Amino acid sequence: MHRRTKKQRLRIRRYLTPFFFLLPALFFIVIFVLFPIVNTIYLSFVQENGSLGLANYQEVISRSEFINYGRPITAGPPYGAFIHNLIWIALHLPLSVFFGLLLAVLLRDVKGGAVIKSIIFLAMIIPMVVGGVMLRFMYNDDAGVVNGFLRLIGLGNMTRSWLAYANTCLLGLIVGTVWIWTGFCMVVYSAGLQGIPVELYEAAKIDGASRWRTFWRITIPQLRSATIVVVTMTLLWVLKVFDLVFIEFGGPGGSASVMAFQMYLDAFYSFNFGTASVWATLLTVMTFGIAAYMVKRMAES
Amino acid sequence: MNRNKGLTTNQWIAIAVAIIIVIAAVFGAWYLYFQPTGPKKLTVISLWSGTEEDNFLQVLGNFTENTGIESRHIGYSTQELKITIPTQLAANASIFDLAIAPWPADILNWANKGYLVEVTDLIDASKYPAGFINPVKDSTGKIWAVPFKASAKPGFWYRKSIWQTNGWTVPTATTNYTQFKALLATIKADGEANITGFKAPIASGDTVGWPLSDTTEAFIMGLGGYQLQEELIAGSINWTDPEVKNVFSNLTELLNSGYFGTPAEAWTDPIPDLWDGKYAMYFQGSFITAQPTVLNQSDFAFFPFPGWNGETNGVAGSVDYVVLPKYTEKMTDAKKLLEYLAGADAQEIMVGLGGFLATNVDVPASAYTTIDLTVLDFISKSSVHIVGDLDDSIGGTFQTTFWSQLRLLWTDPATRADLDAFLEKLQEFAP
Repeated sequence: MHRRTKKQRLRIRRYLTPFFFLLPALFFIVIFVLFPIVNTIYLSFVQENGSLGLANYQEVISRSEFINYGRPITAGPPYGAFIHNLIWIALHLPLSVFFGLLLAVLLRDVKGGAVIKSIIFLAMIIPMVVGGVMLRFMYNDDAGVVNGFLRLIGLGNMTRSWLAYANTCLLGLIVGTVWIWTGFCMVVYSAGLQGIPVELYEAAKIDGASRWRTFWRITIPQLRSATIVVVTMTLLWVLKVFDLVFIEFGGPGGSASVMAFQMYLDAFYSFNFGTASVWATLLTVMTFGIAAYMVKRMAES
Repeated sequence: MNRNKGLTTNQWIAIAVAIIIVIAAVFGAWYLYFQPTGPKKLTVISLWSGTEEDNFLQVLGNFTENTGIESRHIGYSTQELKITIPTQLAANASIFDLAIAPWPADILNWANKGYLVEVTDLIDASKYPAGFINPVKDSTGKIWAVPFKASAKPGFWYRKSIWQTNGWTVPTATTNYTQFKALLATIKADGEANITGFKAPIASGDTVGWPLSDTTEAFIMGLGGYQLQEELIAGSINWTDPEVKNVFSNLTELLNSGYFGTPAEAWTDPIPDLWDGKYAMYFQGSFITAQPTVLNQSDFAFFPFPGWNGETNGVAGSVDYVVLPKYTEKMTDAKKLLEYLAGADAQEIMVGLGGFLATNVDVPASAYTTIDLTVLDFISKSSVHIVGDLDDSIGGTFQTTFWSQLRLLWTDPATRADLDAFLEKLQEFAP
């Protein structure tokens, strides 16, 4: 009988030991993450008659709640949850990244900057549902700060209950999420700025580079890793946005509805877990794809 | 080799945290296992908050005094209750012992799935008008819920003194829809000219959508007759039918004319503005009289929807039904509370506090407040038919679609006047 040498046993032991320590975490990940994902994907293929097929996908994708096919862009929302998600990304991502970077740079050398940053970051730590309720107040016709500001600058005729209208509900919520999320972007960029060697700025100064040139040639390239983190987290966060939309219950006629909200409606209002799983699967595929790509980019950088 | 065998600060912290977690887990498990096993309170869930909840707590207090059985009430929002009840029942569990909901279609659906206890033998069905019992009776005659209280949507509520001051004539039984439109034009012109902060002739309810549904139902019954609402509930007429389209064309005309205000955040929000004259009227259920913002009930009244030939012949009635889940652990006590709520004693307390109508015929007229008696008198007229609330009666996905589409129509009627698409959307989800 072949017996392993002591060296071989040691090698196997070394190989298996990390897995032994990973077991508790893996156990929970399999039970609470992997199994639900696999089961949801499986459910998305289970048709009404119990057989497996693509009927649920066909149903969801053909719905006007997914893409409001044929609706001209000039007609205004609702365009469908999928399109709303894309609009959300297209507006929220650049705005929150821009304001996060701007605030981080502006507050870098300001006395008391840490306190101001903490105040800005507060929006990030409040529960999203609370943020949604606050947004409703902010956009309120009579008492809202947005309309108050418009009145202050002489645009009182533009005041309205912004979230009550289909044309402005989606945009209002997106602006709200920018307010909530900018704090996160600012904090990540602030940390990134701390990591840039001072010598680089000193060298640029000696070479007579302007502030603007220094910013573009040193600060921005050095913040590449931070930007990848910010963009990744923002994309993932925006794709799964739900709470704010729930507060407005999808907006008038679904004008602010997103995929996560449609999933909720299908699951808990229609009790159609097949189509709800389709929404969930589509979201998972999108988030996984984005996350995988961005993590790869991060590793490369 | 110099190896430091002492623990670092981080390791000490980790050990301390681990010890705290273990202690908390042990105490938690001990508490859950050995917690006192005395009688627990019954839990009733409903949509009520504010005055409505305060009044109901008095009813529960009276029940405790009579029986010694303690109970508590948890109020949910419409969206919360819409998912809390079915998800709990579907999980064969229940955090509540009784639930009160105004959705007969959903109740029959839950009963059909075997989630509820039949109440046929727990109540005397002859004590309730058939219109209240039939919606929760299945095809075999079994009754699945107890009608606890009702409310009617009798018409447009207004403040008398505001109308007197502005010289607006309150519609009577013979005022027709054309005259009503002329009145709205007058109110709009007067309001914009004379009232500071005037918003619109008619206030619109909250953004959830049910108050918009109630107003729409008034148009359906006022302009199409109560039979039209019944047909829509039964699914015997399509939403795309020209008769239905005609109703919505008229509604859209008023929306486009700016006679309706922007939907408020909560249905109670417009009441202070109604009181101040910023709105002239507000279509609401009789429960509006129980609101504390209605500062003087003697200065408050309603007029029914003026149809083509005068007063409407239909009124939507909404009933709050009590259901008993199979999964309550306190079945005996829950049944006692259910029987109590079905009785005249409990309902007399509730209606006496204002804003509601009893479902039990043994509740005397003397129990009602003066203003609620005017509602009772109106719906008791032989010419007026009480019809089930449309969206509550159909329920399911139609209800949320209806609410959502109405919010769209209300806030952007000019560019969304494609009524065919709007009605086709409703038809898609209709029974």
